[in-house]
Amino acid sequence: MTTFSNTLPPGRAIGAVVLALMLGFALVGPLLVPGDPFAQSLMKSLAGPDSGAPFGYDHLGRSLWHRLAHALRLSPAIALAAVVTAGAAGLVLGTLAAARGGWVERLLMILADALMALPGLLLVLIVLAIMPGTAMGFWAGLSLVLWVEFFRLTRAATRSTLASPAVQAARLLGFRWPYVFRTHLWPEIAPLMLTAAAFGTATAIMGIAALGFVSVGMRAPTPELGLMMVELLPYWREAPMALLTPVLATFALLLGLTLLAGGQKA
Amino acid sequence: MIQLKRPLIAALLGLSLGTPALADSMIGVAAPFEIQSPDPSTTGHIFTNMGIAETLVDADPQGRLLPGLATEWDTSEDGLTWRFTLRENVSFHDGSPMTPAAVVNALEIARAKPGPISGLPVAAITADHDAVVITLTEPRAALPAFLAESRTQILAPAAYGPDGQAVAVIGTGPYRITDLTPPLSLRATAFADYWGAQPHVPDVSYTAVSRAETRALMAESGDADFVFNLDPASVTRLSQSEAVQVISVAIPRTLLLKVNAAHPFLNTPEARQALSLAIDRAGLAQAVLRYPEGADQLFPPAIGSWHNAGMDPLQYDVAAAQALLAQQGWAPGADGILARDGQRFALTLTTYPDRPELPLVAAVLEQQFRTIGVELTINSTNSSEIPAGHQAGTLELGLLARNFALIPEPIGTILSDYAPTGDWGAMGWDNPEIVALAQAIARGEGTDADRARVSAILQTELPVIPIAWYQQTLAVKAGIDGAVIDPWERNFGLARLRFTE
Amino acid sequence: MNILISRLVQAATVAVLVGAATFAMMRSLPGDAAWRIAAGRYGYDNVNTAAADAVRAELGLGGHWFPAFTQWMGDLLRFDFGVSLVSGQPVIAEITHQLGASLWLALTAVGLSLLIGPPLGVLAGLRPGGALDRGLLVVSAALKAIPQFLMALILILVLSVQLGWLPAAGHGQARHFILPALALALGLAAVNARIARDAMASIAAMPFYHFAQWKGLSRRQVLWRHGLRNVSVPLLTYLGLQFVTLVEGVVVIESIVGWPGIGHALVHAVFARDVPMVQGTALMLGLGFVLVNALIDLAVTRIDPRGAR
Repeated sequence: MTTFSNTLPPGRAIGAVVLALMLGFALVGPLLVPGDPFAQSLMKSLAGPDSGAPFGYDHLGRSLWHRLAHALRLSPAIALAAVVTAGAAGLVLGTLAAARGGWVERLLMILADALMALPGLLLVLIVLAIMPGTAMGFWAGLSLVLWVEFFRLTRAATRSTLASPAVQAARLLGFRWPYVFRTHLWPEIAPLMLTAAAFGTATAIMGIAALGFVSVGMRAPTPELGLMMVELLPYWREAPMALLTPVLATFALLLGLTLLAGGQKA
Repeated sequence: MIQLKRPLIAALLGLSLGTPALADSMIGVAAPFEIQSPDPSTTGHIFTNMGIAETLVDADPQGRLLPGLATEWDTSEDGLTWRFTLRENVSFHDGSPMTPAAVVNALEIARAKPGPISGLPVAAITADHDAVVITLTEPRAALPAFLAESRTQILAPAAYGPDGQAVAVIGTGPYRITDLTPPLSLRATAFADYWGAQPHVPDVSYTAVSRAETRALMAESGDADFVFNLDPASVTRLSQSEAVQVISVAIPRTLLLKVNAAHPFLNTPEARQALSLAIDRAGLAQAVLRYPEGADQLFPPAIGSWHNAGMDPLQYDVAAAQALLAQQGWAPGADGILARDGQRFALTLTTYPDRPELPLVAAVLEQQFRTIGVELTINSTNSSEIPAGHQAGTLELGLLARNFALIPEPIGTILSDYAPTGDWGAMGWDNPEIVALAQAIARGEGTDADRARVSAILQTELPVIPIAWYQQTLAVKAGIDGAVIDPWERNFGLARLRFTE
Repeated sequence: MNILISRLVQAATVAVLVGAATFAMMRSLPGDAAWRIAAGRYGYDNVNTAAADAVRAELGLGGHWFPAFTQWMGDLLRFDFGVSLVSGQPVIAEITHQLGASLWLALTAVGLSLLIGPPLGVLAGLRPGGALDRGLLVVSAALKAIPQFLMALILILVLSVQLGWLPAAGHGQARHFILPALALALGLAAVNARIARDAMASIAAMPFYHFAQWKGLSRRQVLWRHGLRNVSVPLLTYLGLQFVTLVEGVVVIESIVGWPGIGHALVHAVFARDVPMVQGTALMLGLGFVLVNALIDLAVTRIDPRGAR
């Protein structure tokens, strides 16, 4: 199993740095250069960088610097919300399944297996069709997709830990559940959960961007990575940098997350 | 076998990948519309555009009606009985002759489904020797124009299933279908027994490509020869390419803002005029749509008889807009948004992404309205939300592209949209004068002065705010001659195309 | 046997989940389903009250949810998917038609990825820490961070727009396959290569492998007999898991390049609220996953009987 050493492996360290840079830009960028991601100036359509817009302008003369910063807040925010929800649900249900066993565990496993068989984007699409708001729909749909991974990890780890002599002894000594969880289970599960969370966040960001790109996700004029790409695609010849800005940002964000997660998903 | 093998080998070798794979005898069309089914009620426009099915009446680019499957037509004194004499020696693609009974069958089926013809006051459709007779309960001067609409296309009786749904497309056009694969493609070949001149190009294919950027790329790479409906940026790019020729023509379709005239903020002509004055049509047309000009009235010049050149054009004047709103009792609030009696001037604008320029224009309007202190929330959603919101009375503003050429005579659309309201036209608006005028024109009693009056009423009352007149764009591969855009969006004109020597 | 039973249970649960989700979708559509369906059928120029009323009358929308739900699930269990609300064609006919196009695309992609990934991975695994190994690590890390839609975008920009080598969209001919299949294959190959590399490296380090070399088998024979056989097990297992990623990729890529497959149909059906089509396609994809994994379970047991659990 993965163990956390005090020094991060180089891949993870690079990932953390890249991620910190991207999120730092998202949070601080608009403070360094004040501006509005929605303000248009049709005269500046596709114009190059200037002091008010260090990355230039999009087809409607909106500052790419500010749109990108906004997009880099939006997707990670939704993704994190979904990962936190999914992680909490997975943790609770996983521990429950391992601790109770019997039909509770069996039912949960059957449900998780069935969800695993369905493509995540499909579930997100269906939830988006049912839920009223797009951001809420993404949050709900992605949570529904992502909890399975956390559930399986927690259940597997909890099962082996609960069977260990230390835990058996603690239970015999009359320690209560919260104590057992805090001292024995959590240290075992935490590193796994963090890796899964990084992967889950990457999956969620990819999903939001992919659906934005095929025009069934976030809606214009919201700055969103996939949506920005599809909007700027027709102007590739006129303004290649305008299109490359969201492309490179998405790549860096996802690279940071996959490196941070480390190891193989399989 | 050979046809299949050659491209396969070529692809495997990685050779000739950039050359068009289709043989020289084939013209490939790419357009955004998907093939829903063989039924004319949903997909008829593709079949007429591709020259597969035909209608009784045809139309030239100016909207003048021409003989189609009917060679001539006349009406009785009272305007209630119409007689359409059918063309002789016309056969369907299955070899069966086009009889009056077959035509009656097709029209009756079309009439039972949603479409302009179902709203006509028809009493009966009967076969009579070499003709079809349509009797009405009240006069409709534009009846022949309704029969030029694609959903009234004539298919053979064998084309329809027992429930009236078409199961095959057995038309009379210069091309017959060899392969129909909904939702994305069809292939057709020249029909040897066609009643008119044989087409020059023996084979045609149709591919539905919903994304405008992809269509443009296909035109650029030579993967399609005849590409309809390009996005503004691609037009600029393709115009510089030597491989294709870009044709663009003004069509009777207007980009407009549908206004809920019953909304407390919008229930005076002055309020609607203020919104209209806040729109920088020229800037929008040039920067976003890349058209030469914006719309200064509802009807584009392409609709000659309804376009009123003598009217005062719609203007862009932010100061005048602000003054009008101030007269209505609106005053700027702390956040710059106007307020009146404690209510902020905030509205929701509904639009749909099926036409890629609509969300773009919505984004621009949001900014332009903000400068006069009106806040817009954009809801880009399914196109049906606009008529549904109209029916429920909940729509506030709708941004849409309205086709005045569903039939090649705009009176059909005017009756359904502005006399007095309609799903895609005026909302919460009542103007008895325009209703009377439109009905008179529909009966055939209207004059040019009446039409000018209709335009003038719409210009001052602004139940809808015109923004731009559409241009239809077409990219044709170099080496193909004879391409013409039909402004009525009825016929791609494939039968007239020929390859340059 | 156990494996097959658990796969059957999985298949049944998938069917129930899809049925319930699509039923909920049908019932809780924001706005009126009849309007959405009319828009899908007749297009934005012609959707109006009359069209919506005709759809509502035809489909009998409305009524209490419980009898509708039992009827819905009953139809589902009899594999009666009904008729597409948009095209009026039977869903099963449309799906069988589209499934072919998607299968070809998916198989081409998997084939391409197997041609690219594992050979590189095996070579790298034979010399862990070598130049190839380190280069592969960097490239596969980068490729894994590129979602399929982004890969498709990059390939379209480079191969179609800039170089003009491949068509950007379209279908029907061999050359149309290359771009979408490559967009799917590169991501798969990145992971394939890593898995093959790790498996190969661990096998090459094992005593029996050296023993085989020592007993006089040629390098090639050792690789064939002991190396590849053991590499294929983790690869196969991984392919089964990747099926979902592959299907997701197919959904997105088909929409981008206009491929007439099941993914394209699914996105359209969701957009047009054509619920029977959503149900049919979703079920087909879910059951496809179960089937593929059941087959892989069996294949793995055959290759490596020890691992049968």
